[in-house]
Amino acid sequence: MSTPPIDEAELKAMLVRAGLTLTPDQVRAILPGAEIFRRMIERVNAPLPREAEPALTFDVEQG
Amino acid sequence: MSAILTIAEAARLIAAKKLSPVELAKAHLDRIRRLDPDLNAFLLVTEDRALADAKAAEARQMSGALRGKLDGIPIAHKDIYNTAGIRTTAHSKLLEHNVPTRDAHTVKKWADAGTVMLGKLATHEFAFGGPSFDLPWPPARNPWNRDHFTAGSSSGTGAAVAAGLILGGTGSDTGGSIRGPAALCGIAGIKPTYGLSSRAGILPLAFSLDHAGPMAWTAEDCALLLQGMAGPDPEDPASVDRPIPDFTAELGKGVKGLRIGVVRHFFEQDHRASDATRAGIDAAMDFFRKEGAEVRDITLSPAADYHAVGYLIMVTEAFTLHGPWMRERFMDYGELFRDRVSLAATVSGPDMIQATRRRHMLCREMAAAIENLDIIVSASQPGEAPRIDSVPKWANMEKPSFTMPFNVTGFPAISICTGFGEGGLPVAMQLAGKPFTEPTLFRAAHAYETATKWRARRPAMAG
Repeated sequence: MSTPPIDEAELKAMLVRAGLTLTPDQVRAILPGAEIFRRMIERVNAPLPREAEPALTFDVEQG
Repeated sequence: MSAILTIAEAARLIAAKKLSPVELAKAHLDRIRRLDPDLNAFLLVTEDRALADAKAAEARQMSGALRGKLDGIPIAHKDIYNTAGIRTTAHSKLLEHNVPTRDAHTVKKWADAGTVMLGKLATHEFAFGGPSFDLPWPPARNPWNRDHFTAGSSSGTGAAVAAGLILGGTGSDTGGSIRGPAALCGIAGIKPTYGLSSRAGILPLAFSLDHAGPMAWTAEDCALLLQGMAGPDPEDPASVDRPIPDFTAELGKGVKGLRIGVVRHFFEQDHRASDATRAGIDAAMDFFRKEGAEVRDITLSPAADYHAVGYLIMVTEAFTLHGPWMRERFMDYGELFRDRVSLAATVSGPDMIQATRRRHMLCREMAAAIENLDIIVSASQPGEAPRIDSVPKWANMEKPSFTMPFNVTGFPAISICTGFGEGGLPVAMQLAGKPFTEPTLFRAAHAYETATKWRARRPAMAG
């Protein structure tokens, strides 16, 4: 499933949520990278097989 | 003194009392004075410190008390390595006047080994984000052609070693920051196994991907330098407490019997490398076969999978560190750093968890792929260095990196020069191994370097 392209308003809201209050020019400067990055995030979120479920574990000795 | 020595050569001459550490240091300080104005490899030259270190090394030489092969060797540190009483800036306005009170663990280890510190070297801002022209200092230039990029982030170290300003230096590698500049500057650089060398006192970029390692003209020199860096350190939680091998022990053993897997799809399909890069790897594999190694192609997940996982984790960890400063002093960062790290704002909690899960899977995949191999081969960079004024802002995201897979997994990897491309600039290959098998990487890299002619050629400007 492909997610829609990120737009300026959405990016601005995400930046504000992260504590970065930027000017419109500053937000626009990041927008092309955010679009490339969105595709990377999508790749990371590709569905995993059921057997991958225990992949993230907690090490009782190492924390 | 005219010829540029390797560390191994200089160490032999110093041990035989045929080379004065003071004269060696003065010769390199003179080279820095003559050549660095065109290279910008140094952010700070510590001449007084260098001469004091060299005099102390010479006193040990004369009294028969040399501390080893690094005693009297001229080096410099990437400017994210803390140096007590000496400015450490990360090439950033934010730390323009920062003077640490303690040496980084590895800086102290090299100092204890008798190295002669010539200064602090250019980096991409906080080891991420170059080439930048809006920082307090200009970016380093490539000695093979000063209009071209060094890659980064250990850009000053790559330029300084290639031009013979230093015999070796420190780098750090979060997604390829040692191997990239090593490749584009035509030198050797190793990202050791995660945990082998301490990061304590090195300004971090991304905790789980950062590695500290050496860069030098040859693989043998990298082995000597790593010997002086590796070892446990309770101040780095990732540091591994295990015996440190002799990294030079397998040099000269050749490659007979080694099992080598080539991840050909990385540099032929996933991100097609230049003709010269691919030809260099093919020639190297022919050499390995001829010398008795077993060479075959192997398949991993697409390079883009490793790259996406590594990049997501990298910017998220970087924002975790830099967020407080970025919220207050956004415009004090250079454009490339601030805009790239800001992307972390678009990462959700589940995204980060998913990246971590993927990382575990990729680690298992690579461990299985290398189980019956000794070495995995890929390209280091897609080709020769591009012009420094034509590197796109998002260049390090648009196509998958060949180096990131070994940051994601933590496996050791070395970049060595495999020749020159159409533009006369170096090309390279990358050899990776199982965790803690650095001696095998040095063995293969040294066999290749000593059998080929590439180590005899220096940049024209280096004289």
